[in-house]
Amino acid sequence: MPAPAATAPTRKEAPAAPGPASGIRFDGVRVTYGRRGEHTVLDSLDLTVAPGEVLALLGPSGSGKTTALRTVAGFVQPAAGRVLIGDRDVTGLPPHRRGIGMVVQQYALFPHMKVAENVAFGLRARRTPRAEIPGRVAEALEMTGMAAYAGRHPRELSGGQQQRVALARALAIRPGVLLLDEPLSALDAQLRSGMLAELARLHRELPDVSILYVTHDQIEALTLADRIAVLDRARLQDCGTPQELYRRPRTEFTASFVGTANLLPVTVRADRGGVDFAGRQLTVPVGDGLAGGAAATLCLRPHLVGLGERPHDGGPGNTLRGTITEVQWRGATHRLYVSVDGHRVLADVPERRRTPAPGEDIALHFAPEDAVLIPAGLTEDGAHHA
Amino acid sequence: MLVPSKSARRAVHLLFFALFVPVFALPLLVIVAASFATGWSGALPSGATLAHYRDIAHGDALDALLTSVLTALAASLTALTAGTWAALAAEKRTRRTRRIIDALFLLPVAVPSVVVGLSLLVAFSRPPLLLNGTPQIVILAHTVLVTAFAYQSVTAALTRLDPAYEQCAAGLGARPVHVLWRVKLPLLLPSLTAAAGLCFALSMGELSATMMIYPPDWLPLPVQIFAATDRGSLFTGAALAVALMATTLLVLLGLSRLRTKASYR
Amino acid sequence: MPRTESGAAGTGTGAAGTEMVAARTESAAARTGTGAAVTAAPPVRAAASPRTRFGTRSRRTGAAALWTLPPIAALGLVFLYPLALVVWQSFTPEDGGHSTAPYTAVFAQASFRAALTNTVLLAAGATVGALLLGLALSLVIAFVPFPGGKVLSRFIDLFLAFPSFLITLALLFLYGTVGMANGLWTDVTGAAHGPLDFLHTPWGVLLAEVTYFTPFVMRPLLAAFSQVDTGQLEAAASLGARPWRIVRTVILPEALPSLAAGGALVLVLGLNEFGIVLFTGAKDVVTLPMLVYTKALLDGDYTGACVVAVVNVALSVALYALYRTAMSRTGGSPARRTGGADRAGA
Repeated sequence: MPAPAATAPTRKEAPAAPGPASGIRFDGVRVTYGRRGEHTVLDSLDLTVAPGEVLALLGPSGSGKTTALRTVAGFVQPAAGRVLIGDRDVTGLPPHRRGIGMVVQQYALFPHMKVAENVAFGLRARRTPRAEIPGRVAEALEMTGMAAYAGRHPRELSGGQQQRVALARALAIRPGVLLLDEPLSALDAQLRSGMLAELARLHRELPDVSILYVTHDQIEALTLADRIAVLDRARLQDCGTPQELYRRPRTEFTASFVGTANLLPVTVRADRGGVDFAGRQLTVPVGDGLAGGAAATLCLRPHLVGLGERPHDGGPGNTLRGTITEVQWRGATHRLYVSVDGHRVLADVPERRRTPAPGEDIALHFAPEDAVLIPAGLTEDGAHHA
Repeated sequence: MLVPSKSARRAVHLLFFALFVPVFALPLLVIVAASFATGWSGALPSGATLAHYRDIAHGDALDALLTSVLTALAASLTALTAGTWAALAAEKRTRRTRRIIDALFLLPVAVPSVVVGLSLLVAFSRPPLLLNGTPQIVILAHTVLVTAFAYQSVTAALTRLDPAYEQCAAGLGARPVHVLWRVKLPLLLPSLTAAAGLCFALSMGELSATMMIYPPDWLPLPVQIFAATDRGSLFTGAALAVALMATTLLVLLGLSRLRTKASYR
Repeated sequence: MPRTESGAAGTGTGAAGTEMVAARTESAAARTGTGAAVTAAPPVRAAASPRTRFGTRSRRTGAAALWTLPPIAALGLVFLYPLALVVWQSFTPEDGGHSTAPYTAVFAQASFRAALTNTVLLAAGATVGALLLGLALSLVIAFVPFPGGKVLSRFIDLFLAFPSFLITLALLFLYGTVGMANGLWTDVTGAAHGPLDFLHTPWGVLLAEVTYFTPFVMRPLLAAFSQVDTGQLEAAASLGARPWRIVRTVILPEALPSLAAGGALVLVLGLNEFGIVLFTGAKDVVTLPMLVYTKALLDGDYTGACVVAVVNVALSVALYALYRTAMSRTGGSPARRTGGADRAGA
C-alpha cells in the first residue's frame, strides 16, 4: 500500500535516527504471497512496541514472526495495513529510509570489510560527517566489547564475536528501533546464555531503543523481553508480559509453547466450583468467561504437580492417581510420565532418595490456584499437547 | 568406496587411464612436443628445434598474438560490463521479465558462431554502420559471443549471493547505488574475475565468427594457426597453438591470483 | 556467515581454469540444483524468493525497467537486429523481390542435404559419445577415487579454456598419416604406411568432438556426484547391492538432470561446431556451419548462406529452448529428486 501523501518521504537523505523514543506499531498488517495473494503469511497483525520496550515475537518456524520483522525493516511489503515507526508511517518507504538497526541470524557481516569498516558502513551510508565516524565506531565497538578487534576481518572472528560486531554495526547508527532476527540461533548453548546477559545489559544502557526480537526460543523470550507476542500460523495468539503468558496463558498454544504444560480436557461443573476430569472432580477457579457445562482445557505446569495425595502444608489440593510410565532423571528433578486414566500427566518432582519406578501406582496433587482453565476452541485444534 | 575389492579397483583405474591418456592427456602433450620438432614420422617427433618459436618472436605471428590479446581484452571487458549490467538489472525485475532477459542474453550461446559472424557481415556492411573490414567488427563479434557467458556467470553468482548482505546494507541506510558499489560488486568480485577469465579465454580461441569477418589487417591468432596448418606447416601451427594456450593460461592464472586476493581480503 | 564466493569449483586457489570452467557449465549445474552452493545454502536462502517477490515493487519498477533498457538495446543492435537481417536476406532472392525461392533452391541441393544429415548425425554421435565417456570417467573420479583424481578432473577442465580446433590439430599429430600412432606402427612393423587414416572422414570429426565435448558433460556430472550422500551408497552396499546396481538405483537418478543438461548442451554445441570441421579440412565432411562459411565467403552466395544459417539457427535454438525448458522443470524440484534417491537407497 503506498504511503499517504502526508507521510511521503522527504527527499532528504537517509533520515536521522527518528527521535530518541520511537516505538513500532503494526496496524492491521497483512502479508500474502502467491500470484493472487493466496498464501497468507501474516494475518492482520495489530501490535505495538512501546518506546524503549523489548518485545519478543515468539513462534515456531513458519508462524510469520520473521515476516512481521521484515515488514518493519522494509524488505516485505504488506498487502494491507500500515507499519509505523514512531509517528511516521513507513509502509511505503524503502529500507534505507527507515532508520532502523538490524541484526540477522547469520550476521551478514560484509566479508570484504574489516570490523571497523563494517561498523562504519551505516554511518558512511548516511553521510555522517567524516570527523564523527571514528568516534562513533569506537563507541559502538566499546559498547559490545569488540574494541580490540577493530582491525580484524569478519572471517577471523568466532561466531560470538561476529555477533557482537553485527550488533555494533546496528547500534552505530543510533537507531530508535533495533530489529533482532534470531540473533542467537547460530551460537552454541553456552555462548547463547552469555550473549543473552549481554543483550540485557545493552538494553539497560540504551533505554530509549525499542527492540523487536524474533525468536523461536522461549528461554530467550522469557529472559529478555518486557512483553512477548506469540505467533502461530500467521496469527497473533497471545501477547503479554512473560509472567502473564507463563502463569495465565490464554490459549493452549501459548501454554505449550511458553514453558511445558499438561493440557487436560475438562468440563466445567454446573455449579462452576470446579471441573470434571475423566470422571473425577477437581477444584479449580473458574473464570468469568466459562459457563457451567462448557468444555475447557486445564493447564498445569509440571513443576507445580507434587507427589502424594496432599500438599505437605495440608492446604487444599486436588489428587490425581495414575501409573508411572516413564521416568527421566534431570539432575535436580525427576520428570515423571504418569498415565491418569489414559491421559498423560507430567510431573517434575525434586530428586529423592528412592526414585519412583515405571509401573508404580502413585498419587499426585496440585493446588487449585496453580491450575489455569483455557476455554476450548481458542485455537483451531488441540494438537499442541506437550 | 563403490568398488571395495582392491583388484577390481585397480582394474577400474587401469580402464580409466586407458581412456583418459589417449583422449585427454596425449592431445595437449603432442601439440607441445610437435612445436619443438620438424618432423614426425616415427613414434616420437624428430628434429628438435626452437625455430618455430624464433619465427613467432619475429614474424606476423607476434602481431597475431597481440591482435588476439587486444581483441580478447576489449571484448571481455565490454562483455563483462554488459553482462553484469544486464544481470544486475534483471535481478530486480519480476520472474517473468527475468525469464525473457535470460532467454535474450543466452540466445547467442545457441546461435552458431558462424551465423553470428554472417549476421554482422550482413548488418554492418553498409552505411551508416559500415564496420566490415575494420578491427571493430571482430571485437564486436567476440563481444556478442562471450556476453552470454558473462551474463550467465554473474547471474549464477547473484543467485548464490545471500540477500542478507544487501538487506543489511539497505537497513543501515545505504542507498541502492551505495549498496551496489560498496557491497554487491565487491562481493561479486571473485565471480567477476572468473567471468572475465572465461570471456578472455573464449575470445582468444574464437575462430568460427572470426573466419567470417576478419579484415586483412586484423588477424587473430586462431586464424593464423589455421592458415599455417592449411598450407601444411603443422609444426609452425603447433608452436602458434602453444603460444595461444600459454597466453590464455597466463592470463587465467593472473586472474586467479587476483581472485584469491579478492576473496581473502 | 560469509559464504565462499565461488560455486562448485571451490575456493579459487586451484588451477587457473577451474572456476572459469565452472562458470561455463554453470547453467547446467546451477539450474539443475546440483551446484554445491545451490543445495548447501543455509535455509535463509529458501525464503528468498517470496521475499523478493513481494519486495517494494511498485515504487521501483520504473527505475528497474530503465536500468534494463541499455543492455537490451545494445544486444538488440549488435545481435538481434543482424540476426533478423539474416532471416530477411534469406527470403530475398538475388533477382529481387521476396519469396521462399532461395529455400527451394537450397533444399534442392544435394550438398545441403548431405550437410544437414552430417550435422545431425555428428552432433548426435558426439553427444552419445561424450555422455558415455563423461559418465564413465566421472563415475571413477567421484566414486572410485585415486590419488590425483581431483587434479585430473581439473586438467580436463582445461579443455574448456582452449579452442576446439586444437583437438583436431592434436589428432593430426596422434593419428595423422605422419603422427604418433602410425609412426609407432611403421617403427614396429617396418611397413611404409601406418594403418590409420580416418582423420579426414566423419570419424575423425566425431573423435575430436567427443574429446572436446566430454568435459562439458563431466563438469555438471561431477558437481551432481559430489551431492550424492555417501551414506546412501554405504547403506545400499550394506544391504548387499552390487556396484552396478548402486550406480543404477542410487547414483544415476540423482545425476540424471545433470546428465540431461550436459547432453543437451553438447548436442547444441555439436550442431554449431565449426573449428573442428574446418581444421579437418576434408572435402566430404561438410556440416551446416561449414556450408554457411563456404557459401558466403568462397561462393559469395550470401542469400544461400543466410538460408543455411536460418536452418541451422532454427535447429539449434529449438533444441536449446527444449533444453532450457527441461532444465527449469527438473531444476525446480531438487528436493523431490533427493526424496526419490532416498527411497532407492533404503
